[in-house]
Amino acid sequence: MSIMSYNGGAVMAMRGKDCVAIASDRRFGVQAQMVTIDFQKIFSMGERLCIGLAGLATDVQTVSQRLKFRLNLYELKEGRQIKPKTFMSMVSNLLYERRFGPYYIEPVIAGLDPKTFEPFICSLDLIGCPMVTEDFVVSGTCSEQMYGMCESLWEPDMEPEDLFETISQAMLNAVDRDAMSGMGVVVHVIEKDKITIRTLKARMD
Amino acid sequence: MATAMAMNRIQHLTGSNNLVPDWMSKEVSTGTTIMAVEFDGGVVIGADSRTTTGAYIANRVTDKLTPIHDHIYCCRSGSAADTQAIADVVTYQLGFHSIELDEPPLVQTAANLFKEMCYRYREELMAGIIVAGWDKRRGGQVYTVPVGGMLVRQPVSVGGSGSTYIYGYVDSNYKSGMNKEECLRFTAGALSLAMERDGSSGGVVRLASISEEGVERRVILGNELPKISRA
Repeated sequence: MSIMSYNGGAVMAMRGKDCVAIASDRRFGVQAQMVTIDFQKIFSMGERLCIGLAGLATDVQTVSQRLKFRLNLYELKEGRQIKPKTFMSMVSNLLYERRFGPYYIEPVIAGLDPKTFEPFICSLDLIGCPMVTEDFVVSGTCSEQMYGMCESLWEPDMEPEDLFETISQAMLNAVDRDAMSGMGVVVHVIEKDKITIRTLKARMD
Repeated sequence: MATAMAMNRIQHLTGSNNLVPDWMSKEVSTGTTIMAVEFDGGVVIGADSRTTTGAYIANRVTDKLTPIHDHIYCCRSGSAADTQAIADVVTYQLGFHSIELDEPPLVQTAANLFKEMCYRYREELMAGIIVAGWDKRRGGQVYTVPVGGMLVRQPVSVGGSGSTYIYGYVDSNYKSGMNKEECLRFTAGALSLAMERDGSSGGVVRLASISEEGVERRVILGNELPKISRA
């Protein structure tokens, strides 16, 4: 039994033209059994910054709470919103502090720069190695399925509406081939002036 | 494949294998929820349609309701390879027996053939099978042969990993004397609940009703399933 697949779950993020999208499934289960279908895995860390956490559910909650604490202190001291790249380094530092007894999560970050509104996505492994990409990032028990879907559906410079459709189809079809993910999908689309949060109608098995 | 097997031997002690994906190392299992109900004049059988290799869904439209003879079906759960092999052998044995007898075979005979195989080879096999059908002597019958090779006749039987979630529903909603339509709705409802809770069950609901007239099969797609849980 792998710790990373004890609860199951999936998150992904995609980059578009002046926008980013981040999506997650909604299942919280204990091995094969589903316990609840409204488990939050994407957390807002700023006006235009979200982090999605896949992995062990207890660490999803603990890390998001501890991260918010560090972020709040940063904003009080700096007097401004954090840049996505800096936030990535903050997450990396938090995870590496636990190098020899890690948090069992693999986060995915998506956001826009607070000043330039430049889109940014990245992912990290469970001990904080950051990876910045230009197209998409995935994490979770169905990562192989998500890579396949993203690689075939993604194209550069998509408008927010197209990006929403693309990330939705990528998530839905990836989690439908995984017994440990699914039970609904939630998608956040982050643009310069708004964040749109939608819950998709999905297979509930 | 050779790499996967070499990796597996080293990794099996640690309990987890990160170097090859599930679908190259785990056995194919019909995770499953299966069910069979007797009514006056026949039986209704049902199953989900998910086959998994580890957590990967290898087949999302599997047919787990397998014909053994004209009026006898079996519902398969456990290892896909084991149950397919056993069903093939029993189909042959029962067909041969029926020709010798020059009569349609009894459901009890089919069930006993399954039991003989599942009990004799119990150490090597992982198979939970429900045998159901109609014959002239006793009408509709359901026999369950769980892992280990026990044999018992029951008016209602559920099996597979998803069955644990629906014992309460089945026990509280079953009434003796239900007709065919009521049995079909009862089975579809129970399977929907199990498919929602059990990660190893899902896809579509396959139903079949077996009576003197023959076998009538139907499929209920995911979006048409009865909505029972109020969650």
